[in-house]
Amino acid sequence: MDASTRQHWLHGFLDLCLLALLAERRDYGRGLAERLADAGFDDVPGGTLYPALLRLEKQGFVRTEREPSVTGPPRKYYELTDLGHAAMRERRDAWQQFRAAMSTVVEGASRAPNGPGSVR
Amino acid sequence: MLLVVASTVLREISRRRVALLFILLLPLVFYLVRIDVHWQAIRFLAIGIGWAVATLSLFSHVGSRRMDERLSVVGAPPTALFFGRQLALVAVGLGVAAVYFGLVALTQSELPRLGGVALLLVTTVLIGVPLGALVSMVITRELEGALALLSVMALQLLVDPDGPMAKLLPLWSTRELSAYAIQEHGAGSLSSGLLHFVVTASICVAVAWIVSVVRLSPVRMLPPSQGGPVGADG
Amino acid sequence: MTASHWESELRVHLVEAGIEAVEAVELARDAAAEAEAAGLHPDSMYGPAVAYAATLASTVRRASVTAAPLARELGAVVLRVSGVTKAYRRRQVLREVDLTLRAGEVAAIVGANGSGKSTLLNICAGLTRASSGSVERTSRIGYAPQHDGVSALLTPAEHFRLFGAVYGMSPKKSVALGTRLAAQLGWRPRKDVVASQLSGGTQQKLNVVLAELNRPDLILLDEPYQGFDQDSYLDFWDQVFRWRDGGAGVLVVTHMLHDLDRVDHVLELRPVEES
Repeated sequence: MDASTRQHWLHGFLDLCLLALLAERRDYGRGLAERLADAGFDDVPGGTLYPALLRLEKQGFVRTEREPSVTGPPRKYYELTDLGHAAMRERRDAWQQFRAAMSTVVEGASRAPNGPGSVR
Repeated sequence: MLLVVASTVLREISRRRVALLFILLLPLVFYLVRIDVHWQAIRFLAIGIGWAVATLSLFSHVGSRRMDERLSVVGAPPTALFFGRQLALVAVGLGVAAVYFGLVALTQSELPRLGGVALLLVTTVLIGVPLGALVSMVITRELEGALALLSVMALQLLVDPDGPMAKLLPLWSTRELSAYAIQEHGAGSLSSGLLHFVVTASICVAVAWIVSVVRLSPVRMLPPSQGGPVGADG
Repeated sequence: MTASHWESELRVHLVEAGIEAVEAVELARDAAAEAEAAGLHPDSMYGPAVAYAATLASTVRRASVTAAPLARELGAVVLRVSGVTKAYRRRQVLREVDLTLRAGEVAAIVGANGSGKSTLLNICAGLTRASSGSVERTSRIGYAPQHDGVSALLTPAEHFRLFGAVYGMSPKKSVALGTRLAAQLGWRPRKDVVASQLSGGTQQKLNVVLAELNRPDLILLDEPYQGFDQDSYLDFWDQVFRWRDGGAGVLVVTHMLHDLDRVDHVLELRPVEES
């Protein structure tokens, strides 16, 4: 399977990922990109990441702040608002339901005689 | 509303430079063709102007039909749309007439009544513009309408003005008034010419206006009574 | 191309896409700063400025729509079509069509070509009379036909003034309003361009703006998204739902079944056999 399908998958959930990362702690754009990569996602291009952050800002889920940094130009930091925290919780619940359904269907297939292995 | 329509139409027309150029130069061709016989030249000039502005009016009305429908459906009065357009076209026609009046005044020295020439050109414009509109309402398509106008103008030039059918042609008054302008003893032509002009122009304007109002007026519909079923079937 | 060149290109294209100048400056500066911080040229980080501008602009537009959908109450009936039939000589185009549309609802008319969709819309607008049946509708309507909706030799501003005059608006107000409405569709009208010089999609945006200029209670649209790219198509439907949320009734003729689940009524027309 190629990278573009995985990218498509991430597109659908990118907003939720960013909300979750920011719920943990505030961060700037590149920091978020690094944390996503650390978690195991493919590199998210700037042309996708920054519009997603802009969308969150326009929806009122995130507020931004410029901070001077030691190592170069001032950084734009993103932080969840109360509305953002509420949205994050709502979407996380929806995600958990979705994930449970996916597990049932997809991992259920590997229980079949022709499946590759056993399920947890 | 009427003035807004008129100014909008003027802007529209001003952007069709080549067409405007033809409108301006066509009468010149008519004029020069008979320049040796000056009374014929002026008469031909007037008919040329009448034909040019009638054609402009025809195409303007046909071309605006869809937009006029759209405007009337949202509340524009069809009368304002009609007369606004006519006003703009008359303005263009009078502009052309003014240019040729100047030309005639400068080049013709033996005219008994220069004012008669002005009257001639103005009345021709005032017939040509509603005539074009009338043809557009009756014939509704540009090519057929233009051919109809062409036929009328050809008849106008060829028919014996004293013959029985001549007075049925729209620009008969042009012929009469040109006699008034050009001939020393043409004073008798003034009243008959003016009468024919008033009758013809009134008929053209009235019929074209009524037809346009009837065609453009949107279907009257009452506001819906409230209550009743919600939904759609088909 | 230098980074600052890319940044000013981005700013220009954002403004063209309907973003306010001040916001465009800020967005462009932010984008350039992030690229600089990453040590990358903006072109390699975001791609060509014109494409990125389109993405950013539609993100801005769309975010304001989904942010807070208004609670909707069913409003007054704005259109009632009962038993409408339309026949031309020996050909019947519509047979016994019924539809009730309220303020705050969206109805889609779908059907194959030749099924009479445009005819039905024209009857609702008042351009044609139904052969039988009745149509009741509110008097404040907007109407966007499929073809010939705009005047080729007039500029957008002249269109706004003309339509504004029908509604009793002053020229300044109508042009200001038209320009603002155009921005919602991602378009900034230029002063010196006549309608025939606009791209097909932009002409249709003008068509749509003219239909909503007087905040009508009922908006009738005949497949006005011809020539729209994907972003504009989505913006158009966002606009439809914005109208709905604002309390208008919207009737759209469409043959694209894509967004029908968000719509309140779907009326399917089938071609009537020759009688």
